[in-house]
Amino acid sequence: MHRKASDLTSAFVGRRMGRRELVRRMGQLGLSAAAANFLLNRASTRVLAADFDWKKHEGTSLQLLMNKHPYLDAMVANLDNFKELTGMDVQYDVFPEDVYFDKVTATLSSGSSQYDAFMTGAYQTWQYGPAGWLVDMAELIGDAEMTAPNYDWEDILPNLRASTAWSGVPGAALGGDGAKQWAIPWGFELNSLSYNRRIFEQAGIANPPKDLAELMEQAVKITADVPDVYGIGVRGSRSWATIHPGYLSGFSNYGASDFNVDNGKLTAAMNSDAGKTFTRQWVEMIQNSGPRNWSTYTWYQVGTDLGAGASGMIYDADILGYFQNGGTAEAGNIAYSAFAPNPEADAPTPNVWIWSLGMNANGQQQDAAWYFVQWASGTEHGLFGARTMDFVNPVRQSVWEDEEFRARIAKSYPGYLEQYEASAPGSKIYFTPQPLFFNLTTEWAASLQRMVANEVPVDEGLDQLAESVNGQLKSAGLG
Amino acid sequence: MQRTTTIGRIVRWILLLLVGLFFLFPIFWVLLMSFQTNAQILRIPPSLFFEPTLENYAALISGRLETAAGTLEISFMRNLWNSVILSSSSVLLALVLGVPAAYAFARFRFRLGEDIAFTLLSFRFAPPLLVLLPLALYFQTIGLNDTYIGLIWVYQLIVLPLILWIVRGYFEDISPDIEHAYRVDGHSWIRTFTRIAIPLARPGIAAAALLAFIFAWNNFIFALILASADKQPVTVGALAFVTASGIQYGQIAAAVVLSVTPTLLLALYAQRYLVEGLSLGAVKG
Amino acid sequence: MATRAGEMATTPRRRSARHNLLPYLLSLPALLVCIGILIPFFTAVWYSLQRYNLALPFTRAFIWFDNYKEFLSDARFWNTVQVSLLYTFLTVGIELLLGLGIAMLLRRATLLNNIMSVALMLPLMIAPAIASLMWKLMTNPNFGILSYLVSLVGLENFKWASDPSTALLTVVLVDVWVYTPFMMVLLLAGLRALPPQPFEAAELDGVPASFVFFRITLPMLTPYIITASLFRMLDSIQQFDIIYAMTQGGPGDTLLVFQVAAYLEFFQYTNVGRSAALLMVLWAITFVLSNLFIKQWLRLRERARGAA
Repeated sequence: MHRKASDLTSAFVGRRMGRRELVRRMGQLGLSAAAANFLLNRASTRVLAADFDWKKHEGTSLQLLMNKHPYLDAMVANLDNFKELTGMDVQYDVFPEDVYFDKVTATLSSGSSQYDAFMTGAYQTWQYGPAGWLVDMAELIGDAEMTAPNYDWEDILPNLRASTAWSGVPGAALGGDGAKQWAIPWGFELNSLSYNRRIFEQAGIANPPKDLAELMEQAVKITADVPDVYGIGVRGSRSWATIHPGYLSGFSNYGASDFNVDNGKLTAAMNSDAGKTFTRQWVEMIQNSGPRNWSTYTWYQVGTDLGAGASGMIYDADILGYFQNGGTAEAGNIAYSAFAPNPEADAPTPNVWIWSLGMNANGQQQDAAWYFVQWASGTEHGLFGARTMDFVNPVRQSVWEDEEFRARIAKSYPGYLEQYEASAPGSKIYFTPQPLFFNLTTEWAASLQRMVANEVPVDEGLDQLAESVNGQLKSAGLG
Repeated sequence: MQRTTTIGRIVRWILLLLVGLFFLFPIFWVLLMSFQTNAQILRIPPSLFFEPTLENYAALISGRLETAAGTLEISFMRNLWNSVILSSSSVLLALVLGVPAAYAFARFRFRLGEDIAFTLLSFRFAPPLLVLLPLALYFQTIGLNDTYIGLIWVYQLIVLPLILWIVRGYFEDISPDIEHAYRVDGHSWIRTFTRIAIPLARPGIAAAALLAFIFAWNNFIFALILASADKQPVTVGALAFVTASGIQYGQIAAAVVLSVTPTLLLALYAQRYLVEGLSLGAVKG
Repeated sequence: MATRAGEMATTPRRRSARHNLLPYLLSLPALLVCIGILIPFFTAVWYSLQRYNLALPFTRAFIWFDNYKEFLSDARFWNTVQVSLLYTFLTVGIELLLGLGIAMLLRRATLLNNIMSVALMLPLMIAPAIASLMWKLMTNPNFGILSYLVSLVGLENFKWASDPSTALLTVVLVDVWVYTPFMMVLLLAGLRALPPQPFEAAELDGVPASFVFFRITLPMLTPYIITASLFRMLDSIQQFDIIYAMTQGGPGDTLLVFQVAAYLEFFQYTNVGRSAALLMVLWAITFVLSNLFIKQWLRLRERARGAA
């Protein structure tokens, strides 16, 4: 049966058979879609192999440090293909997300060469990079000896490529001159609305909100009219993770920014008029119709509430809403919509989180590790993960255009493709890169908490924050 | 020994009930959760009635979890095993090192005695975070990174001071008279130590060992920083159910139940010795 | 009854040499095994004297005690000191009283009492980080069983850990739930180790129970109370798991105790120097407090020995 399946995939790859035919025949052989895709990927991988010496590092054993995440699951499901392609062995250490970055920081800071490559976010590279722990992969990408010809780096969305590249100069634009590619985008999340159609119906709301004022109205209505449900779920814990999703996306939509950069010196700008206007509304929104335990809310609580039918909508990562549409109480009821909170804005300006792959600068097998990174961020694996597993959002344009992927999403996730298409052009990292990123955003979150608890009025709170931030920047020599 | 009036007894019962309720209700609720699916747990409002399922335990024990996106591997049993090894080895080592030392501090007045005792206690003052990162660096140089031995050594920081000072208290409370009598009969100090002192201090040793085991069991920061994934203890294993696609409360609850079981069994076993305290009282002059 | 002095006087001379070495032989292995920790400890001290941020490697410099001096004028630092001490005081105090009360309830070795004493250890057996996670779910306004029960008695919108005014209360509650069994075990074992004679005598004499408790039980139990409180104090002032899992130090800065602040400084802000300095201050406070406890404990022991 394996032989027959292999024959089928070869036929497809050799363009002697159409895709639908292939899937149908695979089904006849009793193969699940996942298995079929695996074999298909294998065949495609073999084709990949033809133009490039994938076996150069045969026999090497790589060690990866990974976060427990659906992206990892997709990688593991396809890993055998990589092993066969390159003759390399791959071991991976998995840590739960709660403690994952602690492990990464501790490991990298001790100068360990134990791990060759690891998962990271873009913001973390703003620390790891200047600390000298990351390999600049820009050279590797351009090197024909090191990178397969069909890697197609340009296929990765331009905003993502730029957002993961930074020169290390505080305040310098992401993706600007001298930018080092400290991380390769692997999967990303943009911020938009995921809402519960059933609850909206119950509250008598026909369509998701078009701007912040309408959202606030609808949220209040839901909180009042639907029992045991509150209107809008957003994060509120004392962490940088509270600022970067919905809040910063809305903040940027109002034209505000976190810092002003002047001659390489940074000054806090979150207390601009635009910033204050937006934050006032944001705080009001939370106070009137946000979760009661808002200041302890992280990604998990926001998602859980949506999936259990405790909230009417969330303004957070689109894939958070994606995950809540399966295996939960409200599965099948969640829909998606792009969101531009500013009534005067043309389009959404979602901030993004980019899960990426980084390479340990102290690693002893950097060339071999690069083979892994390019395979994992390559088109074949991207297609495999997006079609049959939860490897979303894909970072590659070609994957977004893939029929099968689009069909799968359109079928079970109404509005998802549309919200993506409306949001994608404006989706990038809106923060100003600097090494004190976490300090300052955590303090920003603590400040928001004080505002929501009415301990300080919004305007004053933002002014105090700006003052404190400026002080810290000065001591670090950045301001 | 105590006078018990009927009112006194009723009051006692009520107090005991309240105490039991406060401490045990969450445990009971976690136990219930372990037999529920996530969707049942996250119902509004929460309810005590549901259809039980064993799928959480099945997933943990078999190591495989079936989800919509395929089968995931769970290494929980391995984590459990790691915890057992680390905790029991650390406590055993600490007993071997600590009980004789406790005896020395209790029985002998020697120069530097109190200083050494206090120094040993002071190792407990060092906040783990303070020493962990330099430790990670040094462990790498001497090759103890990611080894059980390295971890057991580091765990002594947690368990040794505890065992030492608790057992010392017990030795201090035991009157030296019986030991003197035994010694005068011609027995060596080591026989006195093992035949008389230790058995008399058993309740204290049992209490100290049990508590030390629990603290070692619940610690995870040392293993997190100093070891790789295959040596992680059970707490890290439970946190693995907090994932991007949702918190699997059912599995965490089952993980909690499974992880508490070895410690509970140990407590039941040690209980015997803890009760012995009564006979000890008879010995005091 | 032979006293320590008496014993020494009757020891034959030829054994005195070995006797002198014996306590050292017994206690030095423990010391030697642990002494290695001094190396990382002094490394950390060295870090605390530097301006050292991993993400700003060019600013690394030796600045002596500047880190500490900065603390003196930093309101957030004093907040940390205040919250940490308050937390420690509340948790140790409540757990002591509660633990003592429960130990008194379970004092007699009946079957029920023995079962209860083991059952009551269960909260302690759950890792504090996981316990916090569970309590977080229990106090969730939507699915939390506790929020539900509390709403039934009229407290509709109780904010638990998300409001500055109730956050400390909530984490203290979780701490009390997890750690009171620790006190209970030690105090119960202590109670059971007390000699029965004074109590039998008191009963025969018809002495009231409260007098027995305050004049007989408590003084005899004091050394155990001190030991148990000491260890709980050490843990509480270094508390990380419970608070971080609940609120990461929030809301605002209300729960930024030492180790939470130090953790954030290192793991999130990569500021090694500041993190180390903060923890050194914690170490110093712990040192001073423990000294107080131990001195008291030793004094009591001396007195007991003298009276024996």
